Amino acid sequence: MTGYRKPVPVPSHESKPYWEGLRQHRLLMPRCEACDHRWFPPSRHCPACRADKVAWEEVSGRGKVFSYVVFHRTYHPGFADEGPYCVALIQLAEGPRMLSNVIGLPPDEVRCDMPVKVCFEDVTETATLPKFEPA
Amino acid sequence: MRIPLRDKYAIVGTGKSRLGRVPGVSALGLLEDAMVCALDEAGLRAQDIDGMICRGPDDVYSHHQLMAQRLGINAAFSTTLDNGGASQILAIAMACMAIDAGLASAVLVGYGRDSWSRSQSPDGKKASEPNLVPSAQRPREHGPEFGYFGAVAPHALGARRHMFEYGTTREDFAAIAMAFRDHALRNPEASMRKPLTREDYFAARLIVDPFGLYDCSLVSDGAGAVVVTSAERARDLRARPVLIKGFASFNNTRGWFLDDHMVSTAAQESGERAFRMAGLGPQDVDTAQIYDCFTYMVLTQLEDYGFCRKGEGGAFVRSGALTLGGSLPTNTSGGQLSEAHVEGMLQIVEGVRQLQGVYASDRQVKDAEIVLVSGHGGNTVCHSTLILGRA
Repeated sequence: MTGYRKPVPVPSHESKPYWEGLRQHRLLMPRCEACDHRWFPPSRHCPACRADKVAWEEVSGRGKVFSYVVFHRTYHPGFADEGPYCVALIQLAEGPRMLSNVIGLPPDEVRCDMPVKVCFEDVTETATLPKFEPA
Repeated sequence: MRIPLRDKYAIVGTGKSRLGRVPGVSALGLLEDAMVCALDEAGLRAQDIDGMICRGPDDVYSHHQLMAQRLGINAAFSTTLDNGGASQILAIAMACMAIDAGLASAVLVGYGRDSWSRSQSPDGKKASEPNLVPSAQRPREHGPEFGYFGAVAPHALGARRHMFEYGTTREDFAAIAMAFRDHALRNPEASMRKPLTREDYFAARLIVDPFGLYDCSLVSDGAGAVVVTSAERARDLRARPVLIKGFASFNNTRGWFLDDHMVSTAAQESGERAFRMAGLGPQDVDTAQIYDCFTYMVLTQLEDYGFCRKGEGGAFVRSGALTLGGSLPTNTSGGQLSEAHVEGMLQIVEGVRQLQGVYASDRQVKDAEIVLVSGHGGNTVCHSTLILGRA
């Protein structure tokens, strides 16, 4: 796993549990213990009710493609050899939406509302990325 | 309902710098040129100006201080704004509010950038990406690790979802790009001076699909500026004044990715509020100057403002409505897709000049009395609307 040339995520104080969960191949999302709201990206208070009881809870990893784009232009040298790749906004079954890549099929075969499920890519010794493949 | 500011303030001078590729002049220098031009047009001296609201590249701080110094102005009310492409109309709104509060009497508003110059590397080889966002502000998680970079992708995500929900197509986007290019051909200041055909549009390389090269606005150097003062004082000044009838901003700051924000933008709430202040509706607008960072953003804003119904933007733009001579001539300068991208500032200038009736017949919207200008930006969630009227 040496020589990984793409950007490695830099966790914030708030997102640390999220990235630690991914290391164990678990997709965690913040859930409000007061009103049960789930959201992403994380913050210290629930955006729905302002409670500060934030629990990190594993979600099913199932969802659908809310929208997607295919990058043709290279913005970063780490993606120069990639060819066109798909970045999608995933609507998780539990509510939150998150950006990721849809993999396992050519990017021009991705469709909005296509069912997907999470998979995990250990890209470095310390970072694991959540990606999505057709469900 | 109390409408305290409608028709009470006016734009009394406009200015532009050279546009497009202007090597050797900084963003501040370009803004200086535009502001001098606006002051000359208004017939005002530096000591007549007591307000300064401006904006420029995100890594230059306190523009208002630097600009006031260059122009020799002591400003009673002075600040730099930070609401992306929605800032420039917000600056005009703030100018009106500051004057109304007695904090200033004549306010200079402007925006300048040197994005094209920044895209050129020192050795003359073109850099891959203009350095527009200071590195400390760039996201470090939830995006770059997936190869998600730049301003094209968030708007392209919105476009794709709109295509999925409403059957919008790249043919619709092409109609927008071609209409604005046709307008640019009539504008000697425009960067893009060659006709754009449907074949050109579809033959161009894809950037972030569904957006190709001609869906994306230009990388430009340039600046624009206007002077705002009371309608009463405007009567004694040199230029033909244009009345500020309505303005509003609305920001879907909960997030572009939330709810239906990607297909139904804050133009809706921002527009409703501005129309209410002006006592007008979409049917009253003679020409629109819409913030066209990307073709799709024109289409959805036209729907959100009520120029057509949600989901019917594609048919509307393909009907020829946006062209000069159409039912809603839009971006009559060529806009940011074909004139120059100066974060909406040039569209304010164009709106004012259409109402002043300064153009030859091939570019002038005949008998234009009401213009709507939009601003959009700031991580795609910020929106502002300005409605101007002939005095």
